[in-house]
Amino acid sequence: MTACQFVPAYQRGDLARPEMAFDADPLGSKLNQHIYFSKEASTGGNGVAAGGCGCN
Amino acid sequence: MKSKTLMALSASAVALPGVLVSTSAVSDTPPTAKIISYRASSYKEDALASEALLAGSPERYDIEIHQLRYSSPIGEKYSISLDSSYESMSGASPWYTVKSANGDTKVAMSGASIYEKRRDVTASVKRYYDRGNFGASFTISDENDYRSNSASVDGSFTLANDSTTLSAGIAHSDDDINPTDAAFFNRILSANKSTTSAFVSVTQILNQFSIIQTGVSSTRAGGYLTAPYKLSDHRPEERNQFTWTTSWRRYFREQRSAFHANYRFYDDDFGVRSHTIDFALHKSFSRLITLVPNVRYYQQQAAHFFTPATDFARTMEFNSSDYRLSKYDALSAGLKFNIQLGDYTLVLSGERYRTSGSSNPAVIDFTRLSAGIDYTF
Repeated sequence: MTACQFVPAYQRGDLARPEMAFDADPLGSKLNQHIYFSKEASTGGNGVAAGGCGCN
Repeated sequence: MKSKTLMALSASAVALPGVLVSTSAVSDTPPTAKIISYRASSYKEDALASEALLAGSPERYDIEIHQLRYSSPIGEKYSISLDSSYESMSGASPWYTVKSANGDTKVAMSGASIYEKRRDVTASVKRYYDRGNFGASFTISDENDYRSNSASVDGSFTLANDSTTLSAGIAHSDDDINPTDAAFFNRILSANKSTTSAFVSVTQILNQFSIIQTGVSSTRAGGYLTAPYKLSDHRPEERNQFTWTTSWRRYFREQRSAFHANYRFYDDDFGVRSHTIDFALHKSFSRLITLVPNVRYYQQQAAHFFTPATDFARTMEFNSSDYRLSKYDALSAGLKFNIQLGDYTLVLSGERYRTSGSSNPAVIDFTRLSAGIDYTF
């Protein structure tokens, strides 16, 4: 397994691509996390947005 | 040399209830453009199987969701974002379960007359520094029977080698519960609960094409944690939750693809323990079209006080037949298209979610479809 490499700024273009983001779709992620929060017993760790009851 | 480039890579994926996570890899530096985004979504749960229905309507929830987001730089050191959602829901909900003579679990549903609306608004501001950022947000979520106010702060700091970012945050929410028809159904008239969370994470550049982020979060919920619309549902008034999350991103230049892998371990003192793993591939076919297939697998253990049939005699201090606290697996798959047309990006996506292995037949399968547009200016 390779160790971490120092990557100079001029070689970080691919890392900075939008599709490489940890959350590339804020609205889509917010909706999905709210659905999972409402329908599963687990929550947290993935940016759960704006609570709500999720009672039903 | 400023460390903005690394900060651009360290958008926090480990966040908290009430925290709206950073939007993209480039959003931890002040954004260079304003973006308005809109999504319309349809969420539809499959009907309960007829052989499992004891009473009520087999029709489950249909939800229409509208989302609007605005983000903008403010000067050179600040950014703001506003998010709002509006949901309208209708359908029936599981009420209680019984064991039939042949040992099968039957579900009594409410009538299909539940109509609810939920609105939420989140306002966020972020201040950028040479080696980090600091943000705060406030969220209000409002339903006719439920209101939640939450606030959070978070920050990130880049270490001297410009390859590592440390992030941390805390959040708190206060929720008020006022069940409808409380007197008629002998429900609690009003109650409240509060939730406090904290997280820490580290983001590390591995090489020119890959980056990893790992973090832990701890959440304590206290107050009325029982489901007010379930019959004979009694839960502890405290819940301590822990998550460990790891996310990995790898870019394949020749294939013009970004591979995403995420794993979450979850454990709480209700006895629920779960594993979640998901993969996505962001494949660009040209500068205009991106296709994103994804798959997600979720597996959870039952809460220690879960009972397949509702415990009307209350033989245990705590008990619940809520399907969400049962042991089950869930597999979902989705597909998303992004089509860029000048300053506009059209977004179409869908997801199918199926469960298996539960002792409660009320556990859900659902389909979600979404369409929307982003305007950058």
